[in-house]
Amino acid sequence: MFNSELKKGSAELLVLSLLEARPRHGYEIGKLIEQKSEKRIQFRIGSLYPILCRLEHRGLIAGRWVERAGERRRRFYRLTAEGRRALAAQRSAWQEFVSTINQLVSSEYA
Amino acid sequence: MPDWLKYVREHLSLPKCPLAREEEIIEEIAQQLDDVCLESLHSGLSEQEAFLVAEQHISDWAALANDLMHSGFGQSRKPIVSGSPEEAPGLSVPTHRLAPSQMQRTGTGRRNLKTRFAHALGAISQDLRYASRIFAKKPLFGVIAIVTLAVGIGANTAIFSVIDSVLLRPLPYPEGNRLTVIWSTLGKEGRCPGSGPQLLSLRERSKLFDQFAGIWVQSGALTGRGEPEQVKRGWVTANFLSLLSNRPEAGRLFVSQDEGEGRAPVVVISHELWQRHFGADPNLVGRSILLNDRPSAVVGILPPGFRVLFPEGASVPANIDVYSPFNMELARLPRDRGFLRIVGRLRDGVAIPQAQAELDTIAGQLRAGFPEYSEEDLRLQTVSLQGDVTRNARSYLVSLFAGTGFVLMIVCANMAMLFLSRANERRNEMSVRAALGAEPGRLVRQLLTESVFLSVLGGIAALGVTWGILNALRALEPAGIAQTTSVSLNLTVLTFNIAISVACGLLVGLSPALEARAMNPNAILRESSKTTTEGRHVMRQLLIGGEVALTFVLLTCSLLLIRTFAGLLHVEPGFRSGNVLTFRVSLPGVRYTTPQAANQFFQELQRRLSALPGVQSVGVVSHLPFDDSLPNWYSYFWREGAPKDRQNTLMADHRAAYPGFFDSMGITFIAGRNFDTSDEAGHRKVVIIDDSLATQLWPHENAIGKQLNVENGDFVRDVAEVVGVVKHVQYHSLTDQVRPQLYLPYGIATRANMSVTILANSSRELLVPLIRGQVREMDKDLPLSDMRPMDDYVSDARLSARFITLLCGSLGAIALLLSCIGIYGVAFGSVTSRRKEIGVRMALGARQHNIAAMVLRRSLTPVILGGVAGLVMSMAVTPLLSSLFFGVHPIDPLVLVSVLLFLCFVGLLASSLPMHRVLRGNPIGALRCE
Repeated sequence: MFNSELKKGSAELLVLSLLEARPRHGYEIGKLIEQKSEKRIQFRIGSLYPILCRLEHRGLIAGRWVERAGERRRRFYRLTAEGRRALAAQRSAWQEFVSTINQLVSSEYA
Repeated sequence: MPDWLKYVREHLSLPKCPLAREEEIIEEIAQQLDDVCLESLHSGLSEQEAFLVAEQHISDWAALANDLMHSGFGQSRKPIVSGSPEEAPGLSVPTHRLAPSQMQRTGTGRRNLKTRFAHALGAISQDLRYASRIFAKKPLFGVIAIVTLAVGIGANTAIFSVIDSVLLRPLPYPEGNRLTVIWSTLGKEGRCPGSGPQLLSLRERSKLFDQFAGIWVQSGALTGRGEPEQVKRGWVTANFLSLLSNRPEAGRLFVSQDEGEGRAPVVVISHELWQRHFGADPNLVGRSILLNDRPSAVVGILPPGFRVLFPEGASVPANIDVYSPFNMELARLPRDRGFLRIVGRLRDGVAIPQAQAELDTIAGQLRAGFPEYSEEDLRLQTVSLQGDVTRNARSYLVSLFAGTGFVLMIVCANMAMLFLSRANERRNEMSVRAALGAEPGRLVRQLLTESVFLSVLGGIAALGVTWGILNALRALEPAGIAQTTSVSLNLTVLTFNIAISVACGLLVGLSPALEARAMNPNAILRESSKTTTEGRHVMRQLLIGGEVALTFVLLTCSLLLIRTFAGLLHVEPGFRSGNVLTFRVSLPGVRYTTPQAANQFFQELQRRLSALPGVQSVGVVSHLPFDDSLPNWYSYFWREGAPKDRQNTLMADHRAAYPGFFDSMGITFIAGRNFDTSDEAGHRKVVIIDDSLATQLWPHENAIGKQLNVENGDFVRDVAEVVGVVKHVQYHSLTDQVRPQLYLPYGIATRANMSVTILANSSRELLVPLIRGQVREMDKDLPLSDMRPMDDYVSDARLSARFITLLCGSLGAIALLLSCIGIYGVAFGSVTSRRKEIGVRMALGARQHNIAAMVLRRSLTPVILGGVAGLVMSMAVTPLLSSLFFGVHPIDPLVLVSVLLFLCFVGLLASSLPMHRVLRGNPIGALRCE
């Protein structure tokens, strides 16, 4: 498990990248993060939900209720055009940040 | 599985979030919690454990609310273009199921409107849920409010439904709103019937009416089949029935060929007579029946419930059994023999004033063209049939409606005070909500929703009250209401009920809502929860003052009406009705062809009936007091030898009477003598007049022996000598002296319909079979009808006064009770809110009477001020109702002062209870109380 500050810093990027492929609903996003990180990163509903709201408020993602036969309606989130741009920017910034940190961290021990 | 929606709703409060969005957030979070819970269950956890796992997902609800608020509740700042290229395949989104927030983003103008509507609906449903939760917590409050409102709204709905059916709904006739009554005014005498030639002249000359029809009601005897029955027979013009009915139940209505001299006699009968007398014989139409011993062919049967609605006093009863077309030529009747009650139908689009102008012109032409009309000084007046039918009921229905309106206002004032004190208890809740960001408008809406919600529930309960009141009203059978269409709860009435319920709710919620709007949450959170602001106190005092003022007016009216009714109980009608039994006989002209035969019959009848056990005296008269079911006979009279211009000025009711009538009815002789046997036979032309006629003609002289020009039974002018003067008899109403009376002996004024009066001290049950037996022995085919004590006629004459006194009295009592509760509530509130202050004062040595004076001053001031305002209002209102009063002045100082003192006394009583509580209490307890 990582500490909460790290999680907080990366949460938006995680959500945006999970929505890149296709729209997903809130619980699915949390579940995917948990599965893909092999339970090393877990978000409680109480923390993840405000992030979705914030992203929506900023226009990076858009939620929409979808109903399918036999199921209750769910709110699916998809990436907006602006969200795509933001994802690209954040992704490259993150990679740059990680490589910089890696560099710094490895040089410490080198 | 727990109800996650409920769970989240209970934990998450998003005061600044738009309602619809708040609902979405709650739904979405609940769904996610549900997903977590389900997954845990699938993994083998127990329900309890699964719940705990889900619950841990949100440990700090306040923090979540805060985060959501900072995230703008997820609502995008920018509109997102719909149908963007990233739309995921396979995700079909049915637009009609879109969430409100989504629609807003994709919306066109129409959608925007839809969104707003959905928004408003969502908001209202949330407010309603909240309101019902609040009331579920304090059911007593809700029950008190609903019951009180039900009384106020129910009384109003009941009176409105009567007004709706009596005054607002058109009469049950085709084109009922175009029907008018045409009255003749002869000199000073208004509302007189018209003559045959007059009706024909109207038909010839009028361009604004498309039809005129006339009716005259007599009594008839139905014989030959079963028991002989006396029936009401309406002689009508051929078009009369078709004017009032679309089609008969069976057969046909009259056609013009049926009317006139020498035509084969035909009749149309009522559905009720068909059922009652002919056992609903399906083959009756086309057959002949014996009416007054003459065979008449039944050509039609009227539909069930068909009634002829004519104004009171028109001598046209609603329940006529048989209709016959006139068997004489109307054109050949004298122009001045008025007997026809005339109805006209206006052409489409013609207003009454236009029609009146035309009738004025026609009356002018008639006066100029015919000396009879100019002698009578004939003028014509037309009024809408509906207006005329309901003219007596209108004033008291409108007054009652005002009275119930007053009661409703008092109910609202009490409710407003109840809501204000509850608002006081809920100030903390409101201020917390305001501090958390609830906008003032939001709080106002919540409070108004609560009051409207309760009020609508009260309105629903009120339907029960309305139903009860309507049943009671039907039992009272007030005149002018009973004869119109049945009163019922219909759509108009229900709409009215809903409208006043909502209006009451808004009115009641207004003062707490205004207060919530002006609220400063910080100040309230800092101050103690039990303090009351001065502003609220002023508001309550205003409400109490208003209540007392309205109660004052209602009580004043009630007292005046009670005094009126008490006056009516003691009014001297000019006769004694106790122990007098009456019945009606109508002699068929076929068998009693001469006046002598009829006279012999009545003399023999009186002789036989006088011999019955317990009978003290027997009389016969052509018209009983307060009997409006047959035409009243009245005509001009003058002093013999009076100049021509003084002849047609005064009218009197004239009656054919036997001497026993005056004895059996206890009518006092002021001067002269009663008729004797030789008068009875018609050998001498004599007349008995009443004192009012005597004073009109011979103010300072003895009337006995004077010569009077009168009309005898055959409509022929004759001179009769005044032999007696009796006291005036109230024939038409207990309160109004309509016309003077003159009595002619039967011998010179023969009539077919006569009523018998029997003064007897034996019981009615014993007497009735004996009477029937005697009549049967004399003539087995002669029907008797309307066998009823004279007392019944008198109490019928008091019906409408009894009705309105009872209703107004009940309204006054309800108002008084509600005001007492209100005054008590204010006194109680004022004492409890100042307990601490009172405690301090007592601890510092204030005397009990000082404290008592302080409390009383506070609670009695609005009572006294309201009483004074009520006094002024009453003095303005009661003169408007003067037509309802009799024997009392509308502004009666005794009544006004007693009501004022009584209300002050009641106020004192209501406020002394809480005062005693405080004075008995321990000051330390009061000091400690928070």
